[in-house]
Amino acid sequence: MSFGKAKKQNNKIHIGSRAFDVFLIAFMIIVSIIFLYPFLNVIATSLSSNRMITTGQVTFFPKEFHLDGYKALFKDENILGAYWNTIVIAVGTMIVSLVLNSLMAYVMMAPEFVLRKPLSIILLITMFFSGGTVPTYLLIQNLGLYDSWWSLILPNAVSAYNIFIYRSFYQGISPEIREAARIDGASEFQILTKIYVPLSKALYATFGLFSVVGVWNSYYEALLYIKDPAKQPIQMLLRKIVFTSGTANMSDAQQMISNGNLNSLNVQYACVIATIGPILLVYPFIQKYFAQGVQVGAVKG
Amino acid sequence: MAKRSNTTSIPYAAKKKTFWQLLWKQKALCIMALAPLIMLIIFKYVPMYGILIAFKNYKASKGVWGSNWLEPVLKNFIKFFKNVNSGQIIWNTLKIGVLNLLFTFPAAIIFAILLNELRGKVFKSAVQTISYIPHFLSVVVICSMLNGFGSTTGLFNDVRDFLGMARVDMNNGSQYFLPLYLGSQVWQTVGWSSIMYLSALSNVDVTLYDVANIDGANRWQKIKNIIWPTIKPTTTILLIMNLGNVLNSDYTKILLMQNDTNRSQLEVIGTFVYQKGIVEGKFSYATAVNLFISVIGFALVFGANMITRKINPENSLW
Repeated sequence: MSFGKAKKQNNKIHIGSRAFDVFLIAFMIIVSIIFLYPFLNVIATSLSSNRMITTGQVTFFPKEFHLDGYKALFKDENILGAYWNTIVIAVGTMIVSLVLNSLMAYVMMAPEFVLRKPLSIILLITMFFSGGTVPTYLLIQNLGLYDSWWSLILPNAVSAYNIFIYRSFYQGISPEIREAARIDGASEFQILTKIYVPLSKALYATFGLFSVVGVWNSYYEALLYIKDPAKQPIQMLLRKIVFTSGTANMSDAQQMISNGNLNSLNVQYACVIATIGPILLVYPFIQKYFAQGVQVGAVKG
Repeated sequence: MAKRSNTTSIPYAAKKKTFWQLLWKQKALCIMALAPLIMLIIFKYVPMYGILIAFKNYKASKGVWGSNWLEPVLKNFIKFFKNVNSGQIIWNTLKIGVLNLLFTFPAAIIFAILLNELRGKVFKSAVQTISYIPHFLSVVVICSMLNGFGSTTGLFNDVRDFLGMARVDMNNGSQYFLPLYLGSQVWQTVGWSSIMYLSALSNVDVTLYDVANIDGANRWQKIKNIIWPTIKPTTTILLIMNLGNVLNSDYTKILLMQNDTNRSQLEVIGTFVYQKGIVEGKFSYATAVNLFISVIGFALVFGANMITRKINPENSLW
């Protein structure tokens, strides 16, 4: 009797659990669509005709396909220049920050180093306090870095947070290797470049990518420190087209919009796609590194 | 006998080395630390010293030290509080920050728990991969998309049209700002923020599940008694860290969402500092306003950590 009852109850739980699974799968499918649909809509709208956009008929796929938005964008704006600027700034930031953070992390890792404690206090303070927008802006001006790419590369090159993560990564490398190299007469710098760096490839892949994506996506520093339009990174170009001057200085696009042949969303979304394109193209290859990187920071940092 | 004297001589020799001798021996390490240290001092510490201009009448020609002290020293702070808009600005900063925390923080936890409950491994990792994508979009891209979607022919208005509501220009005025801002924040952060909780959950003791199954626990009971206790420490630490950022609402995003029709209603501390300091060149005043909000933010983290330490010392940040 009691056995049968228990079995029945078990069954009930089972059915409830199954129903929950089904509900969960349906929910996750909807959530995934919510994550993806905006992208599809942006791509579709950038390629659709003005008539279809204004009547609200564009959803997942382009309607009355044309490339005029992209043509206008690439014809009138120095978008290739903006790509080049962004790449130079990103690669510059990556190199400077990897080199400087590695040096500091190695020194902080050495257990016998007498200045370890004061240096870690100096680093910790920068994690909690900062000068803020205006003092940093004045510093950039006083150093003569205003309107130069160095103003985007140098200020955030050394990061205490990253140094602590690098250090804990280095600490995972057996100290005996370091001892052995020292006995063989290797200098500290050689130990870092010949042993620690090659053994930390995963770390450098992750943080190199982090810094490239970070630079690719930032606009505020360029808004503060870069005045010359020819030196602006890609995000500032997008900001200009969507928020400040629009298509005002794009003669062809302006003409086509007033004729009703082009929607301003065609140009704006074309620029959005041009901006996120490179990131989305490499995303499938790099996403596993990113998730790893966050976990390294979470577990060890 | 000779051996013993040899071993005792080592600590003696080590003791004899003074700090400066050790430092000289480790000069290679000192030289390696030099470049990063100089960068830290120039780009982190000099701006901290520059905060002094909040109390001074900053003149570029005289520099930070040479500029005269204000009379009274707190003049800029008094000026900010006498500003008719200061109450509105502080309220906006607080409101947006708190609402942002209230929406994005639990969303990530719930999303992580639901992902964890998902059975199919391939499907789970597909959903995860998709959910991370918005994290890699820049704030300019997000705001451009919001700007387009909110326009009368955009996605959001297509949805409104579909539901039988009239098309409205959501970029006009400030009444649609909060839903657009908070919705996009959740959309952008929920997947990425869930990683922390998922990695905490990957360490959960599997035998606990077996025991729970034998006891006939249902899904909800397992979530309550196994999963929640596992992610609770992570939750507390992240909550303290987020509390410190409550007042640092993402002003780079708000700056982009501002336009002539809504600027007065959407001003927060960060955008106000940008407007006064960079656009209008009132360096001392803007620095004072920024300092005021930083001090309150720091007090918030400190207070939250103190309370946590009293309740459960293991979960506190320090």
